[in-house]
Amino acid sequence: MIRRLVLWLDDRLGAASFARKALRKAFPDHWAFMLGEVALYAYLALLVTGIFLTFFFTASGEDVVYQGSYAPLRGERMSAAYASVLGLSFDVRSGLVMRQIHHWAALVFVAAIVAHALRVFFTGAFRRPREINWLIGTSLVLLAMGAGFTGYSLPDDLLSGTGIRIAYSVLLSIPVVGTWAAFLFFGGEFPAPVTIGRLLALHIMLLQGLILAALGAHLAIIWHQKHTQFRAPGRTEDTVVGSPLWPNYAMKSAGLGLAVFAVLAALGGLVQINPVWLYGPYDPTTVSSPAQPDWYIGWLEGALRLMPNWELRGFGHTIPEPFFPGVLVPGLLITIYALWPFIEQRLTGDREVHHFLDRARAAPRRSGVGAAALTFVVLLTLAGSNDVMARFFGVPVEVVTQVLRGVVLIAPLVAGWVTYVVCRELKAAEGRPVPAWHVVRRGPGGGYVVEDEEE
Amino acid sequence: MSRRTVTVAAVMVVLGATVVAAARSRAQTPSPPPSTPASAASGDVRRGADLYALHCASCHGVTGQGTDDGVTLRGIGAAAVDFALSTGRMPLADPQQPMVRRASAWTRPDIDALVVFVTSLAPGGPPIPAVYPAGGDLTRGQQIFAANCAPCHGTAGQGAAVGEGADAPDLYEATPLQVAEAVRIGPNPMPRFDVGVIDQHDLNSLVRYVLLLRTPADPGGLSLGHLGPVAEGFIAWLVGFAGLVVIIRFIGTTT
Amino acid sequence: MRPVERPIAGMLALSICGSLALVLVYAAGGQPQLEGTLLAVSLGALGAAVIAWALRLLPQEEVTDVRETEPSPPAVRAAATSALERGEEQLTGRRTLGRLLLGALAALVLVVFFPIRSLGPRPGRSMFHTEWQPGTFLIDGEGHRIRDGQLAVGSVITVFPEGHGGSPVSQALLIRVDPAQLALPPGRGTWAPKGHVAFSKLCTHAGCPVGLYRAAAHQLLCPCHQSTFDVLRGAAPIFGPTTRALPQLPLRIDEDGYLRATGDFSAPVGPGFWELS
Repeated sequence: MIRRLVLWLDDRLGAASFARKALRKAFPDHWAFMLGEVALYAYLALLVTGIFLTFFFTASGEDVVYQGSYAPLRGERMSAAYASVLGLSFDVRSGLVMRQIHHWAALVFVAAIVAHALRVFFTGAFRRPREINWLIGTSLVLLAMGAGFTGYSLPDDLLSGTGIRIAYSVLLSIPVVGTWAAFLFFGGEFPAPVTIGRLLALHIMLLQGLILAALGAHLAIIWHQKHTQFRAPGRTEDTVVGSPLWPNYAMKSAGLGLAVFAVLAALGGLVQINPVWLYGPYDPTTVSSPAQPDWYIGWLEGALRLMPNWELRGFGHTIPEPFFPGVLVPGLLITIYALWPFIEQRLTGDREVHHFLDRARAAPRRSGVGAAALTFVVLLTLAGSNDVMARFFGVPVEVVTQVLRGVVLIAPLVAGWVTYVVCRELKAAEGRPVPAWHVVRRGPGGGYVVEDEEE
Repeated sequence: MSRRTVTVAAVMVVLGATVVAAARSRAQTPSPPPSTPASAASGDVRRGADLYALHCASCHGVTGQGTDDGVTLRGIGAAAVDFALSTGRMPLADPQQPMVRRASAWTRPDIDALVVFVTSLAPGGPPIPAVYPAGGDLTRGQQIFAANCAPCHGTAGQGAAVGEGADAPDLYEATPLQVAEAVRIGPNPMPRFDVGVIDQHDLNSLVRYVLLLRTPADPGGLSLGHLGPVAEGFIAWLVGFAGLVVIIRFIGTTT
Repeated sequence: MRPVERPIAGMLALSICGSLALVLVYAAGGQPQLEGTLLAVSLGALGAAVIAWALRLLPQEEVTDVRETEPSPPAVRAAATSALERGEEQLTGRRTLGRLLLGALAALVLVVFFPIRSLGPRPGRSMFHTEWQPGTFLIDGEGHRIRDGQLAVGSVITVFPEGHGGSPVSQALLIRVDPAQLALPPGRGTWAPKGHVAFSKLCTHAGCPVGLYRAAAHQLLCPCHQSTFDVLRGAAPIFGPTTRALPQLPLRIDEDGYLRATGDFSAPVGPGFWELS
C-alpha cells in the first residue's frame, strides 16, 4: 500500500528519485547525536499540548470574579487569564495533565537544547562548513527561552507576574531608550492591561513561527551537509557511516519520540508543576517567597542577585544597576557564544572543512573556555536560588550571596584552567607509549638497584 | 543480565517509585499540638512565681525587667507568654540562638501559671486572642494570607529564609491558637498585626486558610515541598532529562 | 511467534491495555495521576516495542554515503556569479535611478516605525509622580482610612492614596516604630508623626513589592534579589543590589486622628531609568 502511495506521489511530483536516495541515507547512530532529537520531540509535545491549551486560555487582563470549583479562590477578583487557567486545571477533564505535560515539556525542551549545544561545542561540530547552523542554533536557544518565559507568564499568577515586573524593570534600565522600550513593549507603564494579550501573541504566534522556520532550516542544513561523526577505523572525512533512514533509523527515532512523550506524560501526571492556585492571582502590591523563574532564566536572576550595588549617575541621567547583570553581561555572553565559530577560527587559524568530530581532549583551549563559561552560567543559575540554598543549608542568605560573588568569578577560571591542563595531558599521553614499570631492589650494600622488568 | 536489560529495569524501578511516592504525597501530618488553654486566669500565680524563679529569672530578670540575655517581660502580654511556652520556644538554653519551635517542655497547668505570674508583673500587651476558624471565610483568608503572610512564609506556608540567618517557619505544626497568637504578638523577627490591621473576622478567616494549607489540594501529583521552579528545575534535569539520556544511551552506539 | 518476538509482543499488548485503560479513566471523569501514568504506559510500551524491534528484529546494517564536496565546481560558481552580475549591472548601471531606488527603500524603513510607535504611550512625566497629593488620606486594602492608634509599634500595613486603592504605583508601607529610635535623613523631622513612617513599597532595584519586614531589626527585605532597607534611617539600602533608598512619604495626623500625606514621595518610585537624575 505504501508502495502505491510512493508511486502515486512520483506520478505527480517525481518523488521516486528523492525517495531512492533519501530512504537509504546514512544516519550516524552515536547516542550523543540524539540529544537534538530529544529536543525536537519535546517541542512536538509542546505543540500538541499547546494547541489544546489555546482552546481554553483567555488572554485578557480584564477583572472577573471566579466562580469555579477551587473553593479558596471562589468569589475573588482576578484577571480573566488567571481564571481561565484555574478553569483548565480544575474544571476541564484532562486539562490539568495537559497543562503539566506542556510545562514539563518546556523545561525538558530547553534542557535538551542546552545539552545538545554543549555536545556540539565540545566536539567542534560548529566548524566549517557548519557555522550557519551554529548561528541558527543560537537563535533557537534564545527563541526557546523566550517562548518559555512568555509561556509561563500567561497564567498571570503571583509568581510569574513578579517575573514580568522584573523584565519590565530590566528593559527600563537600558540607557537612552529604556523607558521607550518598556512602554512600547508592555503597552504602557507597568502593569498595563494589554500586556497579557501581547504575551500570548508572542508565545503562540511570533515565537513559534520563528522557531519553526529556524528549526526547518536547521534540519534542512543537517540533511544537506550530512551529520558529523567521530573518528573510527575505516571512516574518512569524505564519507559518513550509519543506519539507513528506512526502516532502521526511522524506527529508532520514532521509538525515541514515543519515549520522550512517555517520560513527559509520566512527569505531567505524577509530579505537580506550577500550582498557580496556591500562588494566587497576580497582585502588583504583594509578592511571594521564594521567588524564582523557571530554571533556564535562573542565570539572569542569579546575576541580578549577585551584582553589587553599582550604578552610574551623572549629567542628569542614570544607568541603573539592573542594566549590568540584566542586559550587558548576558549580551556579551550571548554575542561571544553566537560568534564562537569565527572567534575560534581567528584564534587558531584553522579554516579547514571538518566533518570529523573532536574529542574534548583534542582541543584543550576550546574545552577550557567552554568549561569556564559553563561553570560561570551554572553558578549564576545556582545563585538564583540563593534564598532556597540558605534555608536548606542553614546559612544566612547574605553569606551565601557574598560567597557566591567571589566564587562566580574565581571558579570559572579554575575550572577552565583545570580542564585545559587535563585535556592537554590526555591528548599528549595518546602519542606516548605507556612507560614501563621498573623493579627497584635494595642491594646488600645499602644502595638501590634498578632491575629491568622481567619479560 | 545484559547492560541494556539493567538499564531498562532501572528506568522501570525509578518510574514505579515515583508513582508510589506521588500517590502517597498528600497531607502533611502535623505533630499533635499541646492542648489549648482553658482560661489564662485559672493559672496558679504562686506556682508561676516558683517556676519563673527557677527557669526564667536568670535571663529575664527577677522582676521581669530584662537583662543582656533576655528581653523585658513587663507588659509583654498573656499571648506572648503562652505562645513562647506552648511552642517550646522558651526556655532558650543559649540566648544567642534564634527562637524556634521545639517540643514544649511545659504542661498546660505550668503554662497557665506562668502566664498569670508574668502578666501580674506589669499590665499591657496583647491578651490571648479568641480564634474560631470555622467562622472565617476561606477566600478572605487567602487574600489576607497572600497580602501579609506569603512574602515570608511562602504561598503554601512552607516557610522561607528572611535574611540575617532567620527563617519564617512552616505553618504546618502550629495550633489555631498559636497562629492567632503569633499574628497578634509578632514573635521575633515577625511583625505584629493588631486588631486594627487584621480584625477578628479576618483572623478567623486567616487561620481557616492556614489550616487548609496543611491538606493542600495538590491535584497535580508530588508537591516537591511547594518549593516552586527550583525543585521543578532539578526534577526536569535529574529525572526527566537524565531518564531520557539513559534511553538514548540504550538506543544509540558509543562509536 | 519466535522467542525473540515475544517480549515485543508483550510490550505492544501492554500499550494497548494502557490506551484502553486511559479511555476508561477519561470516560469515568478523569484523574490526573492515572491519566499521566496510563498515557506514559501506552506511549512508553509502544516506544519500547518499536525500539526493541529496531534493535533486535531488523537486520543491523550500516550504509555509507559519500559527502558531496562543497563548494561547487569552478565552472558552476562562475556561471552563478555571472548570472548574479547580469542582474546587478541592470540595477546599478542606471545610477540616478538606482540611488533613488535605495532612497525609497530607506524611506520605507521610517514608515515601519509608525506601527511600533502605536504599541504604547510615550513615557512622559508619569515616571516621576504618583497619585499622592498634599492632604490625601491613607487607606488600607479595603478602602478604610487609617487612624492614629490603629497600628501598634512593630506593625506594618500596605496603604494607598484615597481614591486609588490598589494602585501599583502609589502603594506604600506604613510602619509604626518607637519614635525615639528614628534617625531619618535631615529635613524629615516632621514626616513621621508618633513613629508612623511610610515608604514606597516598590523596590528601587527591580520593582518587586518589598514584602518582608523584620520588625525587631526594623529592616525591610525584598524577596526578589534580597535588597535590604533600614527603616529607622529612612529605608536606606544596607545590603543587596539596590542603590537607592525607598522613597519616603511625608505624613501628618489631622485633627480627627486620621493619617494623611503632606505631599508626594521624596523621590520617583520604583527602579531606576535613564531620565532619573
